[in-house]
Amino acid sequence: MGNLMSASFAPECNKAKAKYDECFNEWYSEKFLKGKGVYNECEDLWEEYKECLGKALTTRGIHNMLDKSREDAPFEVGGRTKEELEEIQAQEVSGSSDAVKK
Amino acid sequence: MKFFSSQCSFDYPWAHVSASAWKKYPNEMSTHVVAVDVLRREVDPVSGILTTERLITCKQNIPRWLLAIVGGRDTSYVREVSEVDPVTKTLTLRSQNLTMNNLLSVQETVVYSPDMADPSKTIFNQTARIEAYATFQRLCNKIEDWSVERFRHNAALGRLGFESVLKKLADSVPDNMLQSASLQTAAAKI
Repeated sequence: MGNLMSASFAPECNKAKAKYDECFNEWYSEKFLKGKGVYNECEDLWEEYKECLGKALTTRGIHNMLDKSREDAPFEVGGRTKEELEEIQAQEVSGSSDAVKK
Repeated sequence: MKFFSSQCSFDYPWAHVSASAWKKYPNEMSTHVVAVDVLRREVDPVSGILTTERLITCKQNIPRWLLAIVGGRDTSYVREVSEVDPVTKTLTLRSQNLTMNNLLSVQETVVYSPDMADPSKTIFNQTARIEAYATFQRLCNKIEDWSVERFRHNAALGRLGFESVLKKLADSVPDNMLQSASLQTAAAKI
């Protein structure tokens, strides 16, 4: 029970996902957190899983929904929305002007 | 618009909590989460931050009045982008709903960070912003109230479920815990 893995939304991808997840979890604890792994060595296993997912996302019509969300909250900025980024900027500006005043 | 926030503390070091976060589902409490898929994952070579995009599939009982509005679907999807900063030891997860989003926007941010006063503990901070877009204010309020209540319910169950995952993983891999603890001690010395 302890090592039960989450399923994929597309059952046909479960096998590829399980292999990838197992690799990632090991890498995360043993390498990444210990500062030993900038390179994600599970990349090869991920390719198979990603290919399977890609097909499933398209046939089930999830791709379009994802694209909209990716515009709103891009991966490149850690999923922050425009509003969040503006807030952070505003805080930084007021923070630095405070520092100047002091 | 409604806001929800909660904070709690887990009695495990951050390394254990963050590693367990990837294995949070399935757990016996959060039965509404039926699948979790990784869509994209990258490590920034400069900052060392691990960014992950996931698709979370949920299935839950929706009241009849709302089911009629959303068109009879009970499967919903959530997109989540998370960042792990191994240097500052922060795991931040940001998510938003993909389905029903013409009716409702739910944006959630969860942060796991070490308890500065006690590195054997991890602080969990959760905030959510819930907004409904119905034509009538009364309906908006009704949808928002239902969503906040459901959110509260799932958050409470999620916490219990995660507690049991944390315990299970700590019990099954005692070495892991020891390593996590020694990592924390090593970090504390720096």
